[in-house]
Amino acid sequence: MTLFIQQLFNGIALGGIYCLAAIGLTLVFGVLRIPNLAHGALYMLGAYVTYFFLTTVGVPYVAAIGIAALILFVLGVLLERLVFHPLRNAPHTHHMIAAIGAMFFFQSVAQVIWGADFKRMETPISGSLQILGAEISAQRIVIIVTAVIVLGLLTWFIKRSIHGQTIEAIEQDRTGAALVGINPAMVSMLTLGLSALLVTIAAGLVSPINLLSPTMGAALNLKVFAIIILGGLGSLPGAIVGSFALAIAETMTSTYISSAVGEAVAFIVLVAVLAIRPTGLFAKAVQR
Amino acid sequence: MLSLENISVGYDATDVLHGVSVTARPGELTVILGANGSGKTTLFKTISGLLRTRSGSIEYNGQTIRRTRPSSIVKLGIAQCPEGRHLFGKMSVEKNLRLGTYPHRNRTRTEEILSDVLDLFPILKEKAAQPAGSLSGGQQQMVSIGRALMSDPSLLILDEPSMGLAPLVVEQVLESIAQINRNGIGVLLSEQNARASLSIAHRGYVLAEGRVVLADDADKLLDNPQVQAAYLGL
Repeated sequence: MTLFIQQLFNGIALGGIYCLAAIGLTLVFGVLRIPNLAHGALYMLGAYVTYFFLTTVGVPYVAAIGIAALILFVLGVLLERLVFHPLRNAPHTHHMIAAIGAMFFFQSVAQVIWGADFKRMETPISGSLQILGAEISAQRIVIIVTAVIVLGLLTWFIKRSIHGQTIEAIEQDRTGAALVGINPAMVSMLTLGLSALLVTIAAGLVSPINLLSPTMGAALNLKVFAIIILGGLGSLPGAIVGSFALAIAETMTSTYISSAVGEAVAFIVLVAVLAIRPTGLFAKAVQR
Repeated sequence: MLSLENISVGYDATDVLHGVSVTARPGELTVILGANGSGKTTLFKTISGLLRTRSGSIEYNGQTIRRTRPSSIVKLGIAQCPEGRHLFGKMSVEKNLRLGTYPHRNRTRTEEILSDVLDLFPILKEKAAQPAGSLSGGQQQMVSIGRALMSDPSLLILDEPSMGLAPLVVEQVLESIAQINRNGIGVLLSEQNARASLSIAHRGYVLAEGRVVLADDADKLLDNPQVQAAYLGL
């Protein structure tokens, strides 16, 4: 029972990370109608920039994540403006090729600056809490609390503020949005910036637990794509539910079956969803 | 004043509009008549900046808007209810209306216009919290007109607002449009229902195969034998 509670908390913490990563990806899909294959690379860069500010510059942990998130926001905006925007009228394959190009570019940049070997980010938050007999590390508690707060703020932004509502407006009707004076180019930049900001918060939170490497984004990329397909492309609730479901399934199978199966669980679920309900659990009726 | 001079617009290789000139005077209700495929929707999309002209000029209040982007054109005061309405179907009626204020985002003005819109279409008060996509066609048309009004326009463009609506609802919608015009907002309306629309209009144009074939005062068009033959079944 103690082991189960322990793993449940681990699963929820991992779910929080997946959630912050997946929401940005699903928003970008909703607005730009493209799968941003460079998303994992933004996660990796977010981790390294956080690492840089924490260890090289020496600012406090929270400030390091905050600065990194802002820098990645700007980078996301630039990625949209310089790479995706010029291709907005091109066939879909062009976006994917460009995204993969951006991914390799970011990986190389990280490798040039920080080297190819693994880096360790020292846990700035130590200690653990006893919950129902299980020992939960403070870092995981921080992850869960931060993820909940960030998701709350994001939901408020998208549902309540007029600038956030433009994201949903573009998703639901592009022509309608243009006719109420919303500029799709601005919203696309905002959305990509936001997705990079969110994935950086995820990276900053998880880095003290994992190791950093220039290819660390690849594994996350596969997982978050599985999640947003599971939840239904472009669906926010789908991304949230999918993240936690997948993370808990992953930690539980790792614990009770084997860690190899745990890694594969995302793709077993993905294959099952594509076979049974290809539009995902919270599908929006996508009409093209 | 909106004036289009000799504009040609097309998709791919073929032109849909061939040298069309149309003027909409401030505060007047101008109607564009024409059969399906005559180019009405293309004309309106061009005014709103969704399509680009190949040649000709478009001016609004003396400013050239031929290459202006749609979001900036709305800011200049030209709002459009497009064909097919293009509402945000999953958002509530109220959110749809409030997003219409995006070009100015002025709080006091927003509440003023919102109460005007709800006076014009009282049914929307009851439906305010419902997703716009769940409403009937007539009610959706009201949301679309309301959303366009929320931007505080000086010219309201309506692309066949009566399309697909029951005759009784058509009458209501056209009456609301006349009311909007009486409140001082210029209206540019496209219709197939010639008699009803000309009776509330000041000026009218007849579009056929991408060309203006007739342009005159509305009451003169009503008496015009060509219009009567083509649109009024006389």
